[in-house]
Amino acid sequence: MTIKHESQKIAEYFYTFAVVLFLVQVLVGVIAAAQFIWPGFFVLNFNIIRSLHINALVVWLLVGFMGATYYVVPEESETDLWGLPLAKLQFWATVGTIAAVVLGYIWMGFNPQANSPVMGINPLNEGREYIEAPRWADILIVISVLTFLFINFMTMMKTKKWTGIQGVLLGGLTFLALMYLPGLFYTKSMVKDQFWWWWVVHLWVEGAWEIIAGALLAFMLMKVVGARREVVEKWMYIEVGFVMFTGILGTGHHYYWIGTPGYWLWVGGIFSSLEPLPLLFMVWDAFRTTRGARNVTNKAGLFYSVAHAIFNFVGAGLWGVIHTLPQVNKWTHGTQITTAHGHLAFYGAYVLLVLSMIYITLPALRGVKEFNTSRAYRSFWWMTISMVFIVLTITGAGMVQTYMERLMGLDYVTVKATYNLWFWILRVIFGVGFFYGVLIFVVDFFKLGREPMAAVNAVPEEA
Amino acid sequence: MSNKAARNLFIFGSLFFFAIFLAMTYDTLGKLDKRAPEITEEVDAGKKVWHKYDCIGCHTIFGNGSYFAPELAKITEKKPKGYLKKFLMDPKAVNPGASMPKFGITADEADKLLAFLDWSSKVDTNGWPPKPILASAAGVGGVELTQGQRIYQSLGCSGCHMINGIGGTTGPDLTKVGSRRDKAWLKGHFKDPDEFVKGSAMPKVEAPEADIEQLTDYMLTLK
Repeated sequence: MTIKHESQKIAEYFYTFAVVLFLVQVLVGVIAAAQFIWPGFFVLNFNIIRSLHINALVVWLLVGFMGATYYVVPEESETDLWGLPLAKLQFWATVGTIAAVVLGYIWMGFNPQANSPVMGINPLNEGREYIEAPRWADILIVISVLTFLFINFMTMMKTKKWTGIQGVLLGGLTFLALMYLPGLFYTKSMVKDQFWWWWVVHLWVEGAWEIIAGALLAFMLMKVVGARREVVEKWMYIEVGFVMFTGILGTGHHYYWIGTPGYWLWVGGIFSSLEPLPLLFMVWDAFRTTRGARNVTNKAGLFYSVAHAIFNFVGAGLWGVIHTLPQVNKWTHGTQITTAHGHLAFYGAYVLLVLSMIYITLPALRGVKEFNTSRAYRSFWWMTISMVFIVLTITGAGMVQTYMERLMGLDYVTVKATYNLWFWILRVIFGVGFFYGVLIFVVDFFKLGREPMAAVNAVPEEA
Repeated sequence: MSNKAARNLFIFGSLFFFAIFLAMTYDTLGKLDKRAPEITEEVDAGKKVWHKYDCIGCHTIFGNGSYFAPELAKITEKKPKGYLKKFLMDPKAVNPGASMPKFGITADEADKLLAFLDWSSKVDTNGWPPKPILASAAGVGGVELTQGQRIYQSLGCSGCHMINGIGGTTGPDLTKVGSRRDKAWLKGHFKDPDEFVKGSAMPKVEAPEADIEQLTDYMLTLK
C-alpha cells in the first residue's frame, strides 16, 4: 500500500513535530508530578513546567490533526494538495512560532520580570491557563490555522467531491478556528474573562475536537475494515450531531460557580449529564463496524482506533459525568477530581485518536503494506495501564481532598502535603511507566516501515 | 434515515442549540456586573499583576486553574491583608515551609493584587465554595459557633432537622428556612408549633426568652 497522491507526504512533517512535542509533554509531566512532592525539584518552577505540559499537549494534538487532515483531504478529494509549497511554509512557520513561545516561557521561568507588560501586553506569557501563549503568538497561530484551512478548502474546490467525512472534518476545524477568537481580548472582569475563556476551552474539547474525532474515526473505520461509506457517514452525522446538541449547552457545567447566574446550574447539569451518550454511541459504532471484519491488514491501526473510542467514552464521558451535577460539583470543583478527568479524557479522546491516525496512515506514507506491530502493542499497554493508574491515584487524591478539605475543613496545604503524599509518589512511578511507553512509541514512529520485515512475514507462511 | 436527513439533523440541530447558547450568553453578560462589585482602576491593575506573574500556573480562582496551590478567590476573607502582602513579596520570609518562590512582587503590585482578590471575594458565586459542613457543625477549623448555633445544638434540634446536609430527616429541612419564614412566625412557632402548623409533632421549645430570640436570629441567617 502506498499513498495515492505525492503531496500527502506533507502529513509526515506534521506527525514528526507532533511526536517530538508528545515526548516533551510527557517528560515535563513527570517533572511536574515530582514537584507535587518536592516543589523545588527542577530549575524551573511548577507554573512554567505546567504551562509547557498543557501547551505542548494542545499544540501536538492540533499539529497531529493538521497532519491527519493533509492526509485525508487529498485522499477524499482524489487529487493532489493545492499549494504544497504554502503548506510547507505553514509547517515551518508553525514550528518557528511554537519554538519561540517555548523559549519565552523558559526565559520567564528564570526572570519573571521579563514578562512585564510592553504597551499593555505581556510579551512572554498571557497568564491564562491553556492559552498562555502571548498575543503576538496568538496572531501567528491564527494565521497558520487560516492558511491551513485555506489550503484544504482550495484542494476540495479542485474536484468538488463533497464527501461527508471531509465536510465534517473541515467544519470541525473551522469551528475550532472560530472558537479561538473569544480568547483573544482582555476583559477587566475576571468573571467575564473566565466566561469567554470557557468558550475556547470547552467548545474546543467538547465541541470542535469531538467533531474532528468523529470524522477521523469514520475515515479510519472505512480505511481499516473497508466499511461502506454511506453507512459510516450516516452514523458519523448522528454522532457528531448529538455531541453538539449536548456539548454546546453542556458548557453550562463550567458556569456554576464563577459568578454567573443560577440558571446555568440547571442547563449545565441537564445537558452535560447527556454528554457521555454520543461517546457511548461511538463505542457501539466502532464495535458494530469492526465485529465482522475479516482480512484486516493493519491490525494495530484497528486496535488503536477501537481503543480510542472506548477511552474517549471512559475518560471524557464517565470520568466527566461523575462530577458534573451541581450538587456533586459544589464539593469537587477545583479539586484533583478535575485533574483525573482531564488526564483520562485527553488520553482517550485525543492522544489515542492522533496515534491511531498515525498507525493507519503512516505505513502508506512510508510505502509499506505491513509492519512489525510488536512495539505498537507494547507501547499501547505501557501507556494505557500507566495512564489508568495515574488517573486512579489522582482520583483517590481528589476524593481525599474533597472529603478532608471541602467537607471537614482541613487546610489545603495540610491535605496536599500530608494526606495525599502517597498518591503523588505513586503517580510519579506510573508517570515514569507512561514515559517508557511513549519512548517505545517514538522509536516505533521513526522505525516503522524502515526495517526488514522478513522474520515477521515468514511466520504465517510456515504455519 | 437517509444520509441527507442525518446531515441536516447535524447542521441545523447544532445551529439551533448554538442559537440558544448565544441568547443565554447575551442574557448572562447583562447580569454579570450586577453580581460583582464595581471594578476600580486598582482592581483592574491587580488583575494585570495576576496575569503578569502567571498566578494561575499554580493556583485556582473560582476553582479554575492549576490545582497545585490554594484557591484564591476568597483568600482575603480567610487571612489578614497585612500577612498576605508580606507573603506575596517574600513567601519564605513569612513562612519558611512555603512552597511559593519569591517572584519579585513589589509592595505596589501586592497592594493591587490584594485589591483584585478583595474584589473576587465579593463576587456572587452561587454559594461556592460551600462552608465545610463537618467543621461548621462542630465549630472548629476557624468556624466559630454563634450563640444561636450553640442553642440549636444544646436543644438537640438536629435530631429531627437538617441544616446543610447534617441532621435528621423527620422534621423539615432548615437549610433555607430564613428565606421562607419571618421573625414573628419563627418566634411564635417556637413557643407553640401547633398554633402555626396544625397537627405539628414538634414540641414547644422550653427555653428562656433570650435563647428563643437568639435561635430565631440564627434561623433567619439560613438562606
